[in-house]
Amino acid sequence: MSTDQQSTGETGDGRTILLIGSGPIQIGQAAEFDYSGAQACRALQEEGARVVLVNSNPATIMTDPEMADEVYIEPITTEAIAEIIRKERPDGVIAGLGGQTGLNVTAELAEEGVLEQYGVEIMGTPLDTIYATEDRDLFRQRMEKIGQPVPASTTISLEEDESVSELTEDDLEERVQAAVDEVGGLPVIARTTYTLGGSGSGVVHEFDELLARVRKGLRLSRNSEVLITESISGWVEYEYEVMRDADDSCIIICNMENIDPMGIHTGESTVVTPSQIVPDEGHQEMRTAALDVIRELGIQGGCNIQFAWRDDGTPGGEYRVVEVNPRVSRSSALASKATGYPIARVTAKVALGKRLHEIENEITGETTAAFEPAIDYVVTKVPRWPKDKFEDVDFELTTAMKSTGEAMAIGRTFEESMLKALRSSEYEPSVDWADVSDDELEETYLERPSPDRPYALFEAFERGYTVDEVVELTGIFEWYTERFKRIAESTRAAQEGDFTEAAIAGHTNATIAATAGADVDAVEQEVPGRTYKQVDTCAGEFEAETPYYYSSRKNEFESGPLVGDAASGELEVDRDLESVIVVGGGPIRIGQGVEFDYCSVHAVQALRDMGIDAHVVNNNPETVSTDYDTSDGLFFEPITAEEVADVAEATGADGVMVQFGGQTSVNIGEPLQDEIDRRGLKCEVMGTSVEAMDLAEDRDRFNALMDDLGIAQPEGGAAHSKEEAMQLAHEIGYPVLVRPSYVLGGRAMEVVYDDEELERYIEEAVRVSPDKPILVDDFLADAIELDVDAVSDGEDVLIGGVMEHVETAGVHSGDSACMIPPRSLDDETLARVREVTEDIAEALETVGLLNVQLAVRDGEVYVLEANPRSSRTVPFISKATDVPIAKIAAKVMAGNTLEELEIEEQIPEQTSIKEVVLPFDRLPGSDPRLGPEMKSTGEVMGSADSFGKAYDKAQDATGKPIPDSGTAIIDLSADKFPDPDTEDGDALVDGFTEYFDLCEEVDLAQAVREGKVDLIVSRDRDLLEVAVEEEITYFSTPASAKAALEALEAKDEPIDVQAVSDRPKQTAEWGRSD
Amino acid sequence: MTQAYVALEGGHVIEGRGRAPGTARGELVFTTAYTGYEESLTDPSYEEQILTFSYPLIGNYGVREERFEDDRVHPRAALAKEFTADVAEWLESEGVPAVDHLDTREIVTDIRDEGAMKCGIAVGEDVTEEDALEQLEACKGMSEHTDIGAQVSVDEETVYGADNDGADVALVDCGAKGSIVDSLVARDATVHVLPYDAAADDVAAIDPDILFISNGPGDPANYEQAIGLVQEFVEDTPVAGICLGQQIVAEALGGSTEKMTFGHRGVNQPVLDLESGQVVMTTQNHGYTVAEPGDHLEVTQINVNDDTPEGLDGVVHDVITRQYHPEANPGPEDTLDFFDDVLAMADERASTAVPADD
Repeated sequence: MSTDQQSTGETGDGRTILLIGSGPIQIGQAAEFDYSGAQACRALQEEGARVVLVNSNPATIMTDPEMADEVYIEPITTEAIAEIIRKERPDGVIAGLGGQTGLNVTAELAEEGVLEQYGVEIMGTPLDTIYATEDRDLFRQRMEKIGQPVPASTTISLEEDESVSELTEDDLEERVQAAVDEVGGLPVIARTTYTLGGSGSGVVHEFDELLARVRKGLRLSRNSEVLITESISGWVEYEYEVMRDADDSCIIICNMENIDPMGIHTGESTVVTPSQIVPDEGHQEMRTAALDVIRELGIQGGCNIQFAWRDDGTPGGEYRVVEVNPRVSRSSALASKATGYPIARVTAKVALGKRLHEIENEITGETTAAFEPAIDYVVTKVPRWPKDKFEDVDFELTTAMKSTGEAMAIGRTFEESMLKALRSSEYEPSVDWADVSDDELEETYLERPSPDRPYALFEAFERGYTVDEVVELTGIFEWYTERFKRIAESTRAAQEGDFTEAAIAGHTNATIAATAGADVDAVEQEVPGRTYKQVDTCAGEFEAETPYYYSSRKNEFESGPLVGDAASGELEVDRDLESVIVVGGGPIRIGQGVEFDYCSVHAVQALRDMGIDAHVVNNNPETVSTDYDTSDGLFFEPITAEEVADVAEATGADGVMVQFGGQTSVNIGEPLQDEIDRRGLKCEVMGTSVEAMDLAEDRDRFNALMDDLGIAQPEGGAAHSKEEAMQLAHEIGYPVLVRPSYVLGGRAMEVVYDDEELERYIEEAVRVSPDKPILVDDFLADAIELDVDAVSDGEDVLIGGVMEHVETAGVHSGDSACMIPPRSLDDETLARVREVTEDIAEALETVGLLNVQLAVRDGEVYVLEANPRSSRTVPFISKATDVPIAKIAAKVMAGNTLEELEIEEQIPEQTSIKEVVLPFDRLPGSDPRLGPEMKSTGEVMGSADSFGKAYDKAQDATGKPIPDSGTAIIDLSADKFPDPDTEDGDALVDGFTEYFDLCEEVDLAQAVREGKVDLIVSRDRDLLEVAVEEEITYFSTPASAKAALEALEAKDEPIDVQAVSDRPKQTAEWGRSD
Repeated sequence: MTQAYVALEGGHVIEGRGRAPGTARGELVFTTAYTGYEESLTDPSYEEQILTFSYPLIGNYGVREERFEDDRVHPRAALAKEFTADVAEWLESEGVPAVDHLDTREIVTDIRDEGAMKCGIAVGEDVTEEDALEQLEACKGMSEHTDIGAQVSVDEETVYGADNDGADVALVDCGAKGSIVDSLVARDATVHVLPYDAAADDVAAIDPDILFISNGPGDPANYEQAIGLVQEFVEDTPVAGICLGQQIVAEALGGSTEKMTFGHRGVNQPVLDLESGQVVMTTQNHGYTVAEPGDHLEVTQINVNDDTPEGLDGVVHDVITRQYHPEANPGPEDTLDFFDDVLAMADERASTAVPADD
């Protein structure tokens, strides 16, 4: 007997498949689609298909030239993709791998007839299915047809000839009331169809609020529809990840249980896999329902089905089918990492016609994809919110997503898993519990779900609240609440000198030592050590070969640290082999996005190229770096010095690289060095020394170094008190740029223009980081800002590229559009830029990457900052120049010299623009103006012969295209804009009036609300908030407005769609005009 | 302070936390299901075994009798990383020792590498490692439990669904799970549950439309009477079997069985139907398997992981059997239609039966 039946379906042989990515990282659509896309590319190529990939996001691994046969970094618009289809003539397109963006654009391409015209087949899940899941009415009909219960719902929609602005209040009220009655009264959930991550949806308790939401929803919805559903808040929310092949074999990959009750978006919830509190019968009922649903919808590949469930006293409880996502998703990435089952890979192969039992399970090597993973651990996912970046935004958790990323952890108990996840999220509640009364604790932190709630639970138990009380206040289920209490009790025990319970609960030795005021050596001797277990998809039933591990403490019958082989647990390592640990970047947040995952993955690839075993420590389930086949050892762990040192102990690694994972990895450099020394490990922190990294961040020492090197800096210094700051500001002269030292992404950076503003600022900044000084610098208004990324081996320096910012000083470099190559520098200045970079590289004894931020004014080059580590521009530069500087950096850190590597600098002949994507539409109440604080979540790239066209393409790619006609508001009233009477001001107004009628309305905001405005140039916060709500393209700085004008002038130039490696480059050295 | 020790074949003793006192011995096996602990612990097929849960947290949704498969707990002892108080109290009240705070993953991989093994357990105030080793010493192999059927079977015929209009099923109870009876009764059958050692006359007295051999613990070779019943009735009566039932049918009709290294226990076993090409997920709990089906049976379904027979059809006789548990509980409901197929054999028999007055 044999299972080796011949496949009846076709495989990929010779066929060309178009894969559409998901574009920039934004709230609701993060790095998960880089992971799924990268996995799909590999899977399709394995099957012999020729893969053409398009994505606008240069910071991704999937857009690396070697990932597909042709890689296009182009806007995900029908215009650009139609052009790619004309050039590449794909046989099929797989739409279900690029998130909502990929699905929507595929649907549009079909609707426009492009797919039919070029004979492009939609592979995997059919379009009808996509419509059936997105249109809730259709969905309900299909579910009713197969007898599946759904929450009562109805839609409020506009007739074709109706417009929302003409709808009278009475008319609207009547329709809304009828809808509310139909679903059984308030509260209800109001939702707009076809939106990402549930934007604009929420549980509504008040009728007036509902009216306002419906009005807005009708305006924004693509099909003028708002859905009103029965609120099932308080039920338990489940997700089932389902897979189906063409022969109708269906399996469940896993289920996921949300700790937070129904009513909070699953992307905002703390989620546990597998389910803990549903009995087998209830689980099997939902499992069967999930299979019935995927069959009814005819989905081929992966799919996510959401349920609401409650214990109604029957053996299996009661459930509702809430939603279906007929594609890979954030949840499927989580499920893949949680179980080891590669959903995107299998989805891609199923789309080509393979059957599940014909696809190998790579993890075991013994079994196939036709099985349901068995889990013998507990997985917890915790979202990460940008709360620290948006003081004006209410971060109450609702049905709309506000988190930018997530961390996942694996443990043998929920407590261990939860504590590891919280640690991995690197989130600190900005609340001093001592100042919080019981009333406030209950109302603000327990009843109201927020990013701080898990910590509030610990605090409540610390104060003696009972489990029942906390269940009552939070609605969190008793089983979980009890375990939060156990954690709190273990912390208390540690304070009293009993460390074991706290260690087993999942605290680090370092935390326990700090809590108890004990010495870490003493704690370590007393508690059980950590060892590693394998994630194997089968709970140990089969021997697995894939090196995917998590740590867990031993039981209480053992104590003391584990060393050598004992620390390795199930690891299969040859300790004699040369191996290096690459520390990843943790959850995606503003200021630290997918670009650092890109850098980490490149470091791993470089090491493996050199024959060195590369291990990854990271905890972000969305990423490529945490794919089990990226590295030689994947350690899904929190990033702390102790836990990374444990990995070093267990693997016998020779070195650790902390340059690639952004601030997360850089921050552990120093404590990790100390921990390695404390334990006497034979392991080094590689590349530029921890000492040099510290020097670069220490303002005073860095100043002195620049003075020695004769490199200009904006006048400034560090102030430790308000008086010092005032004095400095006066010496320098206003305006000055102020910021706290040691912060990420320009947090709390501001330009202040007088004493009063400075005073107000200091009160906030000191609150942000009390024991660190603030930096006061001359604000170089109107200077050109530059970013340079380079690699040094300690001798030679290779310049990856020089980028010029579109924005001038005053806008955070991470939020500024930028261009490569620069267009405003003469040869002499560029030569000086090179010289400055080389001097700094040498002075910091840089081995590895170096990012230098410079400003140029009146021919003088000033250095603003130098960071001897990876920067967020590394992937963009690498894509634009085809010089993979992260890989080169890893190689020189591992001992190669630049000379040996024989790599030449490349200067692109075209212009590439990196533009940012901003989250204001997701965060109501946020200030939508660009400023010194970084707020963007992701980036896109646009390339063309001219700056204007490249900028235009980049805007298209952000999803906020520049309209070429219509009505515009050109409001130059803000200080930052040139006066309308000046020549510059005139030029701006005249420029736009060539394309647009100027808006004549008195109430501009109202005009925007009524859909009468197509483009806005302004810095009026209120007006821009309306623009954000209404999704109107706007520009809030003179620089971006001018760039937009250039884009308008270039509108008629050809779109110039080209594979990224075909774009012309010149082999030449930056700043050397031979 | 309660001590708890688990002694493994070979003499290695592991310390754990005692959750229910007592001493026990049995064959150490594991299940990979993460739900369904109540169903597993009341599954008669675990008789004379010590059940290790590979999922670390057991007991999360309490203990409710309506989810039981039988009226008592069958494994001799239970091991987990962590039992809830509910489960610990239940096991204590049933007199079944329980140990947790164990590295169950290590135990599972030991079983995987060494095979299902003998095990001794001692839990109590003053127990020692020696007490566990003593239990280990006294532990017998599964095949040595020759009269294991008597421990798990009904003593006399019991009828379920007496008022139903459908087929009469003679279910030979070698340790049947309650859900098998429920699945048949729900399809309008009258189920006559007979002792594992029922005589041919007992069966003939019922004149059943189906002879159904249930699941159960231990070596199929120890169920001689049931093997005899199949041989006696297969010419005239359609025969069905689940799990041990499939093995007994194979033994009866010229096939052979063998002991597996550590068996299949879990709710995620993939089974390929050779005719349709479809794969379904099944619940399994067996340590023996059909080695050769013999000339009278053909293999219709196989395990995707190791190709062992999962479904047999009679070549000439009306016989269908499953190695897995179509009745689920715990586990997926993908294969409930097996019971429809079984009962269809009864209908067919009725429609083709020669009139009695001939």
